Amino acid sequence: MTGTREIAQFGGADDGGLGLREAATLLEQTGRQARRELEPYPPWLFVVRAAIVLAVGGAAWLSVRGQHPYQGPTVSAILVIAPLLVVNLVATLAVARRRTTGVSGRSRLRPVEITVMVVIWVGVYVVLGVLAGAGVSPAIVYGWYLVGVPLIVAGIAWAAIMAARANWRECGTAVAVAVVGAAAVFAGPVGAWAVAGVGLCITLLGSAAAIACRQRA
Amino acid sequence: MADDALDPLIHVPARLRIVATLAALDEDDTLSFTRLQDMIGLTPGNLIVHLRKLEDADYVSSEKTGNGAASRTTVALTSRGRAALDAYTGALRALLDGL
Repeated sequence: MTGTREIAQFGGADDGGLGLREAATLLEQTGRQARRELEPYPPWLFVVRAAIVLAVGGAAWLSVRGQHPYQGPTVSAILVIAPLLVVNLVATLAVARRRTTGVSGRSRLRPVEITVMVVIWVGVYVVLGVLAGAGVSPAIVYGWYLVGVPLIVAGIAWAAIMAARANWRECGTAVAVAVVGAAAVFAGPVGAWAVAGVGLCITLLGSAAAIACRQRA
Repeated sequence: MADDALDPLIHVPARLRIVATLAALDEDDTLSFTRLQDMIGLTPGNLIVHLRKLEDADYVSSEKTGNGAASRTTVALTSRGRAALDAYTGALRALLDGL
């Protein structure tokens, strides 16, 4: 069928001469572009975050692996880690905010969900401070707890929120984060950093791949 | 089959882009008029005309909140519009397979 025949068959007063193949191409391209533009967390952001968590875990692991007894990441390691975490947070929020401009409704986080996550993160670090103040071993406070507990608790909470929204992709990612936290706890205070860095890197790369596949679908 | 198969309301470049863009939103989500305009690249007047036609067919719903400079119009694909796009996509695929 030629374009002319298609136009003759399907043309309307204001269709601008849209043929079948043109329509199919326009539909596919527009849908793909819209999914890409409206995705709050694009694949490239996940790849950047994966590199950041790998660098954070690696820097911390390198600084603690020779410690006897274990004292936690050194000041020089923290000077590398802290800016990376800030860059990670700021980049994630900035990109998500830009891409969700104009979008409202069920997919946006509700105030109660944001509050739950903030309370959990603050609570985890308040307990960390209490444990450190109580003289608990640095291996527990700055090793197992610091690496594993935030990932487990925040991962489970986020998974619950996403399950309630029937967002199974995000739910799966959150469960994977909690599993990485649990694996880090079993790896001991030194190995926890390496396990968390590598585990989160793999999780984030998996998320990047899943989103990229979804955008191409 | 052909004339009936393709929804003439959707089979227009501008409206096809509007419904395809809105279909990329999660269900129950809405998109602001200005963001939709940015994404589609139509003039406000043109977009309003096409949205009105889609609204008349209950394919799209819009809601205006606020007044004056603070007013904001949001647009969403209705379940009827989503079903119409699915039917259109299926019909288009069938027609192309038959070529």
